[in-house]
Amino acid sequence: MNEFEEERLMMQRVQEADFVVVELTLYTNTHPNDEEALDQWREAIKEAARLRRQYENRYGPLSLYSIPSEQAIEVGWRWNQPPWPWQR
Amino acid sequence: MWVYEKKLLYPVEVTTCNPKLARYIMEQYGGADGELAAALRYMNQRYTVPDKVIGVLNDIATEEFSHLEMLATMIYKLTKDATPQQMEEAGLAGHFANHGHALFYENANGVPFTTTYIQAKGDPIADLYEDIAAEEKARATYQWLIDLSDDPGLTDALRFLRERENVHSLRFRESVEILKDERDRKKIF
Repeated sequence: MNEFEEERLMMQRVQEADFVVVELTLYTNTHPNDEEALDQWREAIKEAARLRRQYENRYGPLSLYSIPSEQAIEVGWRWNQPPWPWQR
Repeated sequence: MWVYEKKLLYPVEVTTCNPKLARYIMEQYGGADGELAAALRYMNQRYTVPDKVIGVLNDIATEEFSHLEMLATMIYKLTKDATPQQMEEAGLAGHFANHGHALFYENANGVPFTTTYIQAKGDPIADLYEDIAAEEKARATYQWLIDLSDDPGLTDALRFLRERENVHSLRFRESVEILKDERDRKKIF
């Protein structure tokens, strides 16, 4: 796997994990007493945060709520730098 | 407030330049039952619904903006390398004359977006029924777009979006039931 493919795979994992959070948030909005779903929702947030940290440590922040890692700064990461999502 | 995330909700893979397909997808970008209408409708209704359903409107509105970005990505990728001749052959000569390669909030026939597509009635049941209808109409549009698509990567993303409309419709239906239960409880006590 080359660098490009590796980044895409890690991005996909972040997208998948974030999507689980989106879906469970909507579900728990209308099922506020479903304790099992609420547990899954809390776990999903943890997992999404873990995968996001992994991605961002290597490739730089996906939003300005994350602190740029030393590794990202070393390779010259800038927020205003392509590719933007529609350029990927 | 909102914070921008430098990623799409779901990947959009486009195989080839195909301005005709881009034109069809504009129906969901700036059309009556499209994502811009959905996002603006829910975001605006959320102020005057009972607390129990604010989250649903807030979070679905936010997701619709991410759908809008996915559609923009599709249109951008399908048209960015198109020649003026290819745009013309796709029925986009009028679009090109006005906007060049830029995107615009308009439907598949070039009719610009208007807020007359959406409503806020100040009546939560009326608003939620409109929202359910909006999701079902969007789902139907995605089905027609899937039927028109000959790009497998694009079809995959369109299928994802079609499924999201189903889920949103279900959440809005549940919201109606939550409000009805609450209303009935108030009558009893």
